[in-house]
Amino acid sequence: MKPFWFLLCANVRKEYIELKRYYPNTLSLIFTFYIVFLAMLLGIHVIGDPQQVDTNVQYVIVNYIIWFFMLATLQNLGYVILMEAQRGTLEQLFMSPAGMWRILLARLIAGLFLYGIIVVFLLILSMLTANQWLFFRVDVVMPIFIITTIGMIGVGFMLAGLAIIVKQIQSFLQILQFILMGLTFIPLSTAPFLLIAPFVKGVDMIRQVMIHGFIWSDFLLFDYLSLMINSISYFFIGLIIYFKCEKTALERGLLSQY
Amino acid sequence: MERDVVIEVKNLKKTYKKRKGNEIIYALNGVNFNVYRGEILGLLGPNGAGKTTTIKSICGLIKPNGGAVLINEIDSNKSRLKALNYLSAVLEGNRNLYWRLTVRENLEYFVGNRGVNRKNEQGRVEELLLYFNLKEKENELVSSLSRGMQQKLAIAVALSANTEIILLDEPTLGLDVETGYEVRELLKRLVKEHGKTIIISTHDMPVVQDLCERTVIINNGKVIADEQVDNLIAFFDTRAYIFTLGEELTSQQRISLTENYPMCNINFNEIEVIIEKENDLYKIMDILKSEKTVIEKIDRSIVDIEQIFLKLTKEGSKE
Repeated sequence: MKPFWFLLCANVRKEYIELKRYYPNTLSLIFTFYIVFLAMLLGIHVIGDPQQVDTNVQYVIVNYIIWFFMLATLQNLGYVILMEAQRGTLEQLFMSPAGMWRILLARLIAGLFLYGIIVVFLLILSMLTANQWLFFRVDVVMPIFIITTIGMIGVGFMLAGLAIIVKQIQSFLQILQFILMGLTFIPLSTAPFLLIAPFVKGVDMIRQVMIHGFIWSDFLLFDYLSLMINSISYFFIGLIIYFKCEKTALERGLLSQY
Repeated sequence: MERDVVIEVKNLKKTYKKRKGNEIIYALNGVNFNVYRGEILGLLGPNGAGKTTTIKSICGLIKPNGGAVLINEIDSNKSRLKALNYLSAVLEGNRNLYWRLTVRENLEYFVGNRGVNRKNEQGRVEELLLYFNLKEKENELVSSLSRGMQQKLAIAVALSANTEIILLDEPTLGLDVETGYEVRELLKRLVKEHGKTIIISTHDMPVVQDLCERTVIINNGKVIADEQVDNLIAFFDTRAYIFTLGEELTSQQRISLTENYPMCNINFNEIEVIIEKENDLYKIMDILKSEKTVIEKIDRSIVDIEQIFLKLTKEGSKE
């Protein structure tokens, strides 16, 4: 466990340094988030149903944040592989005795941690600016969100595996965000078969918390079990596929190719 | 005295399928050699001979189709991550580093990336900065460093892992004479002062002659020579001759000589040649005698590793 902690610290530090060094990128991300949050906090009042203003604002903002983190989780690992291959450092990372999958996991956690800080800070800043405050059960939303993210990490590993072999998957990663957006907005009640799709169950449960004010005891054991089975299954299936792809890349000598 | 074997390359085979068609390319075709503790081994071969494939197979970046690489008796094919605890590498090119991180940040990142506590390794990072004369540049971005500085940093990063074995793929490629010399001196010190085992894959023959105790020459995916550099030179020294002639050779003589001795150098009235058998000396004299060419003198010539390399690889290609 300790080596992973050191690996994680090294990657948090590197991600933080790169956020600072590629500051035009970081500033545009911060600016975009701030504007989007403000627009949501103020704009929804204008176009939304006045009876459900609070619920609408909360739901849209939380949905947006979840979509952003899901997207980040899903695309991050694929992009790490592509960027490292482009920079020529991919083979150096593969030479770490820690193992590439652990480095990828550490990179992902580091990215989510740093983006998490930025998003929370900007959300508070936007709420202060707009003088509109969100009230929702963080203690109920967060655990569901974390469990859902575990499944998404698995899907991220599948894409990372694909990126090691194919390399040119940028367009596919771009298209994914629209697929993801679609899945985020479909309630399970209208498409129950999506229960087996990644993260749909988690988003559905968060929707229940945000709109219908569900708390822990309002969910059935089936809800928790299906959420956990779905996430854990996707995590392990993702890892297995990643290992298969890594093996194929080593057999075909694809690591240095871009 | 028996020396410890740290790397055993056993009957290593690697094939690739051509993208179009079903043609199979044999990148490695049964490569065998050992690397001993504390030596600098030169891995030589012409382009496409299989040097990089061999280096990458040792590093676990390529999975061979057959054979094995044992690193301190650990099969790197079966326990890749375990074997990686014993080695680090500087791969070909100048992209082993993060260009938007500083010198110090690169060293610290790669230390942490092996699952080691960065804070405990501060001493080593400091030591490496001083050792490689990078202390003054520690806060500069890698992108702003010269090619030589980047190469020194890449070697420092490989050393930061504190592994016993270091693999260097073309470490002097693209360096000016002064920096190339500096890198060579650094590598010598590493072996002498820190007891590291180094494998260098290179085209740079003076590097091999200056640094390496032993050389393994690969051609067409096979080892064609595995010998101490001094022994190779001594062996070929006894077979290298310079003929000084009284007049220029005829074109017929030139054709005859180059056909039989592809490695011979003909300059106006001088022939430099490495012979294989003592009998060859008489054959050359016969060619000269055929046109009644006057031989003024015959001297022993001094060969360098470059000539030996060319002779061995040309012979290998003919076979």
